[in-house]
Amino acid sequence: MRGMWDRETVAALLIAAHLPIAIFWAWFGDAQGAIRLLTAFLVIAIWHLVFMLIRAQPPSLAAITTALAIAILAPEDLGALRLALGVSFGVVMGELVFGGWGRNVVHPASVALSFLGFGFPAFAWPVFDDPVAWAAIAAGTIGIALGVMPPALILGAAIVAAGGAAAGLLATADLYAAGLVLILLVADPVTSPGTTLGRWLGGGLFAALVILFANGWTGAAPVQAGIAAALLTSLAAPLLDEAAIALWVAKRRRRHGRT
Amino acid sequence: MAAKTDYWDILTGPLIRQNPVTLQILGICSALAVTTSLATALTMSVALTIVLTLAAGIVSVIRRHIPDTIRLIVQIVIVASLVIVIDQVLQAYFAEISRALSVYVGLITTNCLVLGRTEAYARHHRPLPAMVDAFGNGFGYSVILILLGGIREFFGNGALFGVPVLPLADEGGWFTPLSLMLLAPSAFFLLGLLVWALRSLRPEQVEAPEHTPPARAEPAE
Repeated sequence: MRGMWDRETVAALLIAAHLPIAIFWAWFGDAQGAIRLLTAFLVIAIWHLVFMLIRAQPPSLAAITTALAIAILAPEDLGALRLALGVSFGVVMGELVFGGWGRNVVHPASVALSFLGFGFPAFAWPVFDDPVAWAAIAAGTIGIALGVMPPALILGAAIVAAGGAAAGLLATADLYAAGLVLILLVADPVTSPGTTLGRWLGGGLFAALVILFANGWTGAAPVQAGIAAALLTSLAAPLLDEAAIALWVAKRRRRHGRT
Repeated sequence: MAAKTDYWDILTGPLIRQNPVTLQILGICSALAVTTSLATALTMSVALTIVLTLAAGIVSVIRRHIPDTIRLIVQIVIVASLVIVIDQVLQAYFAEISRALSVYVGLITTNCLVLGRTEAYARHHRPLPAMVDAFGNGFGYSVILILLGGIREFFGNGALFGVPVLPLADEGGWFTPLSLMLLAPSAFFLLGLLVWALRSLRPEQVEAPEHTPPARAEPAE
């Protein structure tokens, strides 16, 4: 590894990009949110420590982004024990068993939030104030400018979501939740597609899934639909990359007669 | 005369060291499907163990008369006959559990664990060792099933065998059931964690890696 771009640089810049959301969320939130954030971060830090001691996996600053995403998007009034259970599951099964941040297939926060959603369906999902949701645009802009968030993915999602909103398929609450989920979970550099075409498709897929869930999934809160869409999008990322690369190879073979 | 058969080894081998579910990953379909409660898991375990033991015995008795070309058909006919008997017994005496198990008793016929043992072991051994091996494998399968069923019912319903153990939040207690435990994915997670724990304790069960990571090269400038 040469130069300044290593894993922790990316993690630190990702935290910087998430700052606008974090600040507005803390400003308009209450003490409960701060407690959730601390609990989530503490649990994640303990698991990172355990895996460092047992499997020599270096801990990562990305723990902070995961904790932030969980604290913002998790169902409310869960209590420390249930939150700790969900966070443990997400971080261990979603990230650490694969070898730590950078090798995971799905975002640990997506796994933790899905676990909490399916495990404790009785708890209410959060709704967001306007400034918190609008801060997602600032966060996305910073992320793209710093080079840690894929612009094609965010633009792809924005185009499809704009189409959906114009067709009257997405309510404001859906748009707010989807925007925050897009920045916090989907635009993660590890679990999003790695090819440009794959990113366009991945963003479009996320927005399309949000539209589908918003209209076809009765009884789902906007945040819940967004998280489900994020999880499925990250699972589809390798497929989209594979398709993009196969397309590139086919095009090259047509042009040059060989690979 | 062959060497003396170590029945104890044949019986206890499949419990943990050669467990059919966690080491050979056989019989997963039913292990995931029927473990939502302890009662169904136990019934399924007993049914499978009986079918497997009897099938192994019968196949072993006629092992010199089974033509090689149609041996699978013969084995499946034997297993299917036993399964039908078990299914009828369950429907007659345990109607409720039989409904809860739905098609999975019938699917014992196609359980790869049963066919695997009759094909790989009973066909080459005398009836007694074959039945001991089949019983050991059935028991190893049962251990995993009952463990999964117990965990899932305990955390999913706060009960064991349908008897409430933890005070539920709906009825004034403190325990909120983890509904995820009653969904199929949780069986995958639990089984995965179980396999992970077993292979951490017994590293000889870990499979050889299929790929070797490439040597880390410095990126070209």
